[in-house]
Amino acid sequence: MIPGLLATLIFGVSLYLIFSEKLNRTIAGIAGAAVMVGAGMALGFYSEEEAIAAIDFNTLGLLLGMMTLVALLEPTGFFQYLAVWAGRWSRGHPVWLLVLLGTVTTVLSMFLDNVTTVVLIAPVTILISEILGVSPTPLLMAEALLADTGGVATLIGDPPNVLIASAAGFSFNDFLTHALPIVAAAWLTALLLVWYLFRVELGQRPPNAEAVLQLNPAQALDDPVTARKVLVVLGGAILLFFIHNRIHLSPAFIALGAAAAALVWVRPDTHKTFQRIEWGVLIFFIALFVMVGGLEAAGVLHAVAGLMARADGVPPMWFGVMMIWGVAALSAVVDNVPITIAVIPVIESLGVVGMNIRPLWWALAFGAGFGGNGTIIGSTANIVVASLSERTRTPITSALWNKRGLPVMLATCAVTSVLYVLAFPLLSR
Amino acid sequence: MKIGDCMKRTVVSIPATATVGEAAALIVARHIGLLPVVDAQGRVLGVLGVRDLLTLELPAFVNLVDDVDFVHDFGAVETTRPSPEALAQPVTSLMRPATMVPEDCGLLRAYALMLQRDLHDLPVIAADGALVGIASRVDIGAALLAGWRGLPKGGAP
Repeated sequence: MIPGLLATLIFGVSLYLIFSEKLNRTIAGIAGAAVMVGAGMALGFYSEEEAIAAIDFNTLGLLLGMMTLVALLEPTGFFQYLAVWAGRWSRGHPVWLLVLLGTVTTVLSMFLDNVTTVVLIAPVTILISEILGVSPTPLLMAEALLADTGGVATLIGDPPNVLIASAAGFSFNDFLTHALPIVAAAWLTALLLVWYLFRVELGQRPPNAEAVLQLNPAQALDDPVTARKVLVVLGGAILLFFIHNRIHLSPAFIALGAAAAALVWVRPDTHKTFQRIEWGVLIFFIALFVMVGGLEAAGVLHAVAGLMARADGVPPMWFGVMMIWGVAALSAVVDNVPITIAVIPVIESLGVVGMNIRPLWWALAFGAGFGGNGTIIGSTANIVVASLSERTRTPITSALWNKRGLPVMLATCAVTSVLYVLAFPLLSR
Repeated sequence: MKIGDCMKRTVVSIPATATVGEAAALIVARHIGLLPVVDAQGRVLGVLGVRDLLTLELPAFVNLVDDVDFVHDFGAVETTRPSPEALAQPVTSLMRPATMVPEDCGLLRAYALMLQRDLHDLPVIAADGALVGIASRVDIGAALLAGWRGLPKGGAP
């Protein structure tokens, strides 16, 4: 009883510090993990060995591998190159810009980190908007919303998916067959809704449409040689992801192997490359794993699952729909990574008490992914576009996000819920 | 040689009560790069240069994109002008802290300060803090070069 209460208290205080941003999340995480292990050793419910065993190295390996590839690709100007092409193809037409930049951002974020994608595409978006003489707001918001939505489609598109795949044993192809079709519908809903909500801004014909035709994509690509090498390796890694189950390779091994191959081939200035890797994020993950491991060892998560299993009067399908909305509501206001890490063992415990948990994993992925669209702080990509927009003449405010972003979250969750119910037999397999 | 020996002693400055628009007009009329902003006693509160004024016109992307060589036509931003409200604000809202040196500052020290802080003009103050002159990179650089031994007489070869 006392270990459970103490572990809950430690986890609760750490989450409060993380979510209230009273302390940097990585610092709060490390401190919480240290206190949890210390308390566990003192009261005998959690040991150092158990803490290390609680760390999911599959997730960390996959994230580190993909971060390394992105760190190599980032300085080549490849992202800028794609955005410039999108600008030229649009011929300055705002709706085409929305569709093309939105698609480029989505496709990139399906395979690479959403935040990096948005960080690199958004400045060029502001550039294109400024030379056209139109407001960048609809495009910037669309990029964040569509990157976060599209990222849910693949195993590597979004950190919650990496966590879920590792816990549930889902393959890359499981995501393509189960998540992708539903995400595609949600993505289209998001795009059409952004178009509708910004119809006035997007309906204006820019006065300087021909200026985008003067953009030179070749000059935007600073280092084509390195870009080609990294893209070849990335392409190879994605091909291996498709067959990783058949050849018995973990996604983490593929990602780290690809990172190693790219490093050997490119031979970059490693100091600069490794500076671009977000070590703080990786440490945050480790700290959360250790803390949730403590909760599990103290018997808290099992007790929570026991409480939830009592709701067995609720049909599993509606349980899943409730999870989509519940997790989405939480993810709209707080970081979806700690939520996912905390919910995973609860779902696992529900499996132990006899529930078919396969559909619940998908509900968690959809809720964690789409929930972030709801508020300006719902996802890091949202925060990035908002803070970049503050440097332009039309900053994106929290009130604006509530008017234009929140409807997107509600609509994508609604569409997803309907499809979840319709596809429930498939999602249960 | 000290900076006091090569600086310009006529300094065009602007009172802190002036507007941004008045500062711009003064810079255009006198064709200068930097205006010290002074209080009623003539003490320097800060400086306002062409660079500071042009932040009102410069598009945001210039500070967001590493290199603009792929942008061959700035399109709409070429014709963007600051709003009347922006021009009506006081110079103190746009000025930045002044880097200043005393009259007896050595030339190389002055030049090094300008290089490291990316300055083009350096206000010079007397011991009591009063503004007594201003020296540009060219003033200081030419004075330094003039000290080189063996330069041909009379300028051009």
